[in-house]
Order: sequence, then C-alpha cells, then structure tokens
Amino acid sequence: MFAEENGLHGDPRIKAISDAIRVVPHFPKQGIMFQDITTLLLDQKAFRYTIDIFVDRYRDKNISVVAGVEARGFIFGPPIALAIGAKFVPLRKPRKLPGEVISEAYVLEYGTDCLEMHVGAVQAGESVLIVDDLVATGGTLSAAIRLLERVGAEVVECACVIGLPLVKGNWRLNGVPLYVLVEPRLDDKDNHEECGL
Amino acid sequence: MNMNTLKTFNSNVIFPKPHILFSHTANFINPLKLPSLTPSTPTCQKLQPISASTPPPTTTRHCSSHMAAPTSDDRIARITSAIRVIPDFPKPGILFQDITTLLLDPVAFKDTIDLFVERYKDKNISVVAGVEARGFIFGPPIALAIGAKFVPMRKPNKLPGPVISEEYSLEYGTDKIEMHVGAVEAGDRALVIDDLIATGGTLCAAISLLERVGAQVVECACVIELPELKGRDRLGDKPLFVLIS
Repeated sequence: MFAEENGLHGDPRIKAISDAIRVVPHFPKQGIMFQDITTLLLDQKAFRYTIDIFVDRYRDKNISVVAGVEARGFIFGPPIALAIGAKFVPLRKPRKLPGEVISEAYVLEYGTDCLEMHVGAVQAGESVLIVDDLVATGGTLSAAIRLLERVGAEVVECACVIGLPLVKGNWRLNGVPLYVLVEPRLDDKDNHEECGL
Repeated sequence: MNMNTLKTFNSNVIFPKPHILFSHTANFINPLKLPSLTPSTPTCQKLQPISASTPPPTTTRHCSSHMAAPTSDDRIARITSAIRVIPDFPKPGILFQDITTLLLDPVAFKDTIDLFVERYKDKNISVVAGVEARGFIFGPPIALAIGAKFVPMRKPNKLPGPVISEEYSLEYGTDKIEMHVGAVEAGDRALVIDDLIATGGTLCAAISLLERVGAQVVECACVIELPELKGRDRLGDKPLFVLIS
C-alpha cells in the first residue's frame, strides 16, 4: 500500500521525499527511467523523514529482524533496525558473505541471480521486516521472502521507498504485504513504463 | 525456479595459487569469544527494544588521536567480542573480520554508531562518504545523527548519471570506485567510513575523489584496523580513527 493511502494522506514529508528523488532516463539501459535515491541521501531532512515514517510504522510491531537487500537496502535498513531495536541482516549477492550461507535464486529479464543469507542469523519464529529502496518486478523481494521463510521466520512486511503494485490493487508479494512511500516518477506521466531497478 | 542450496563458501570457489598475507595467527584482534550464529536453543530469542533513555555516562577519558581507549570502555569490549573471525576467506591465509555478527547485536551495533557520533557531532562534518557495501551500513546512521549528507562511493557502473572515478591497486590488478558529480562540493568537510582498513587502497581512492572536488577530508573512520597491513601509513597525513586495532 502507499503510505499516503494508509494514514499519511496529505503528509508533507511524502512530497519532500518524492521531490528529492532524481530520475535518470535510460539507465542502465534504454527505456528504463532509473529512480535515483542518492539525491534523497543528500537531503538530510528528506532522508530523516524516510526513516522516521518507517520507524513510526514498525516500532511497536515486535519486529526482531530487519533484512536489507544489497546494496541500497543497506542504506535504509540499518537506521530502521537501530531505531526499533532489531537485528540487521544483510541479504547479499553470491560469495560476499563469509561462512555458511543459504541461497535463493531468482529470475531476471535475462538469466538468473542469487541472494544469500547467513545460516543462523535469523531463527524460526522471528518477525522480520525486509527493506529495499525500490520494488519493480518483485523478483528480488520474493527471493528475500523465500530465504526468510525457509528458516521459519515470519515476514511481517516488505518496505520500500519507491514502488508500484505489481498488479493494480494487489499489494501483496507471496502473501506478504508491501508498504511503499512514493511511486516512481516518470518524465512522461501518461506512460507507465518499466521502472529502474 | 527454485535452487534451494545449502552450501558453504568453499564448495564452489576455485582458489588461485595461495598468497598468504599473514602466516601466523593474527592476534591483532583479540575477540573474547568467537560468536557463533548457531543458536544454542531452538526457541525464538526475542530482543528487547533499545531503551529510549540516554545511556549511562561513559568514562570520561581523553581518547588518543588514533584509537578509542579500549581498556576503559565497555562498549569497545562488547563490539570486539561481537565480531566473528572466519579463517581462509576469501582465500587461504586470510582471517576475515566478519561484522555481520556485530549487526546481530543491537546494543553493540548502536554502541558502534554512538562512538563515531560522539567523536564527530561537533566537528561540522557536512559529508559522510561510505564505501560500498559495508560502509553503507555504518555511514548512514552516523550521517543522520550528525546532520550530514550521505554520499555512497560505489563500484563501477552502479551510480546512474555523471560520475568521477578513481582507480586503485589491488594485490593483483586494479579496481575503481566512483562518486556522483555534484554530490560533494568544494569546501565540504568530509568523513570517510568503511567497516575495515587493510592496505588502505580503497580509502586512499575515496580520499582522492573527495579532494578532487575540493572537499576537505577531516578523517577516515573504520570499525577495525589491520595494523600489519600498514593502511594507516598509506593514508599519509590523513587521520584515521578506529575502534578496534
């Protein structure tokens, strides 16, 4: 669900966050309007609003794990984890995590990729929040959800700064609710093209 | 498509001719115990949220210009014991300092951030530059707490739009890091953050990028230093602050 439709209607912070995101056309390839959050990180107020909105939503939900998807999930996840007293668990590309890992593959437009998590980082029964900067096809987040469910954790929600429902009106991914602050900005507002990853 | 594999790192890595960086047991890090990720009981371990009240005052001991005083600071002891050492990763002879176990201890992780924030909050730092990817974990919480911009320093071809690049040497070959044009301005006072300093190559490249746009690099800050790799010397006149050495 969009934050604005879920308790934050008219909240000026949402516009500040959206305005702080830069759109870079045709990156990484032609046709993709890349949603660049680095400009949000340069705007201390807007970055703080982003974290505050997530923290306000999750602080009383007994979440014991925040899992962040490499690499931009590493920027938003830890401040949320610190504020709500949860562990932070990085979900990484292959062969970055030392020691024992479990892996989950997912499909890309061409080929596959893989997400890994440390064995033992998350225990059965823990409540987990997954964080990434943006949800596009949902492939990466679905792999993240599968990783956590394989160890018996319960994924409470996936939180992203930017995104669209995968199918209009359907805000669930593998049954897990998606919470998004802003929709992608496009140069041509009538033409909903594929968002940047 | 599900490739559910349980694997250890070693099973699918081809090691090149081993190059031993240190052949002796390195005791420059002295963890009080090696934290394991395997739970000792199968029951769910619920963590208590961190209290919103201010932490008890720490010993007011004047820190040296290089390191936080380890023996008098309980926070450093907890942080040290929360870091896990993995032998022979990514290749034989290397003792990998794994900070992910630190991130599983919310008190120790918060203490890590607090120690950096206490040092930098009154130093008019306008930019915290974090080196991909583990610098992305420590940098943003510090930036948020001290009111600075966070600027990611990334591997090639990740940042969209115009970037500047700096090449640096690896043991074999070179690598590059990039920063966005316009993210940092002349006159910005910058802090460079990474989880660990080894040879100092990456940090030197980060410093170059910042200086090339006219920023002043006030200090480099890392959780861990591997002093035998002499990264501190490689930084030359740029100060280095670490929590564990």
